[in-house]
Amino acid sequence: MKLEARELVCDYGATRAVDSVDLAAAGGSILAVFGPNGAGKTTLLRMLSGERKPDRGAVRLDGRPVSGSDPAWRSRVGLISHRTGLYRKLTVGENLAFFATLHGVAGQGAAAARALDGVGAGELEGKAVEQLSRGQRQRVALARSLVHDPDIVFLDEPFTGLDPGGAEALEAMLRACREAGKIVVLVTHDLRRGVELADRVAVLRRGRKVLDGSASEHGAQDLLRFFTAGGGAGGEGAAA
Amino acid sequence: MTSLRWVGVIAHKDLRIEFRAGGRVVAMIALAVLACFLFAFALDRSQVSAQHVAASLTWLTVLFAATAGAGRAFDTEEEDGAFRHLLLTPIPRHAIFLGKTAANLVLIWMVTLLTFIALTTFLGLRDPGSLTHHGAIFLPGTIGLAATGTFFGLVSRHSSLGDTILPALTFPLLVPVIFFGATASARVFMERPWPEISGSVRLLWAFAVGFTAVGSVLFRYVAEE
Repeated sequence: MKLEARELVCDYGATRAVDSVDLAAAGGSILAVFGPNGAGKTTLLRMLSGERKPDRGAVRLDGRPVSGSDPAWRSRVGLISHRTGLYRKLTVGENLAFFATLHGVAGQGAAAARALDGVGAGELEGKAVEQLSRGQRQRVALARSLVHDPDIVFLDEPFTGLDPGGAEALEAMLRACREAGKIVVLVTHDLRRGVELADRVAVLRRGRKVLDGSASEHGAQDLLRFFTAGGGAGGEGAAA
Repeated sequence: MTSLRWVGVIAHKDLRIEFRAGGRVVAMIALAVLACFLFAFALDRSQVSAQHVAASLTWLTVLFAATAGAGRAFDTEEEDGAFRHLLLTPIPRHAIFLGKTAANLVLIWMVTLLTFIALTTFLGLRDPGSLTHHGAIFLPGTIGLAATGTFFGLVSRHSSLGDTILPALTFPLLVPVIFFGATASARVFMERPWPEISGSVRLLWAFAVGFTAVGSVLFRYVAEE
């Protein structure tokens, strides 16, 4: 399984948010995309997940173009963002069962319980989301994103607001996803965690990709250089 | 799973949240009761017969309450970004629209029933005419209100003016619904025979089906980036 983006372009009016970005991520690997604020990371993620149609370029899975309007594609995608995407007035179990139902998961109650156990939040099932701490909510959001067992998991700043325990649980879950052969695409500011987790890293600056390479070749300090103006000079396509 | 089942799942979720939170329902009901109360005081019944104005006042009250409710129809979707995840599920966009419209409709029916009872009580109308005929008029009328309110509730969310733009967007479109609804209801209050009413009801159904169909088709363009 291979997810590829070719020449992705996205414009917001006169502003080019993403400019001719190529990326690839293989099954059983984690791709981390870094970049300063406004670099175009979230826009790139939205195009990869199909939430936003690129103005130019295409996203392909195993060579076939993917589209956010295709229900089959959406059923293969899981998304985790810094906003939990949960309904506060519903219980944790109701939230998960709701999304499991919409994804056509059989036995949604059992699937919800399984997903919660998977992120170490089984005891939260009967609690209302509004009663949970930020870290607990993020764990539940993680369970919600995995309740339909997606092949591709997109994460948009998932560590924001997480306590150390929550961040460790998230890291463990992402490693488990990698071992299960899923494609994981992570957008984050957290260089240290991102580099530790990822197999491949990419850096965006002002909408352009200034680095794409193996995580083992680039430490956090190395990547930091590419954040700053001029640091990425010559970094385009720095690695295969 | 069929689209109809998805519509039910979305509507059930929305109503469960509404009845637990209470904010939107309470606001709609409070607005309706207050409007009925003020209308009853403002009306000089020695000059104007209650039977002649009850229909217009009922429809206006329902319109204001429905618009107030529609402005908050997407609050729960937006507060923690759930709408983004809802759009990433494989269900068709029109099922989301119809589910949210159905939930809106249930709330509007509650407000309509309460408005009807409050106005007939405050105005001292002992014989409001056939309740079946009233129901046959309000059913298509409220479907039109719910579909229009749900669609433009989301449109207004994407506008920098927010909910304040909602009446300006919906009221012009709803003129026919209010006109034919109030006309038909007035005839029921005056106990006119059904053949004098059925033409307006047919037009109300045409608007209800039209608004719902157009909303279903266009919703995806408003919901997606």
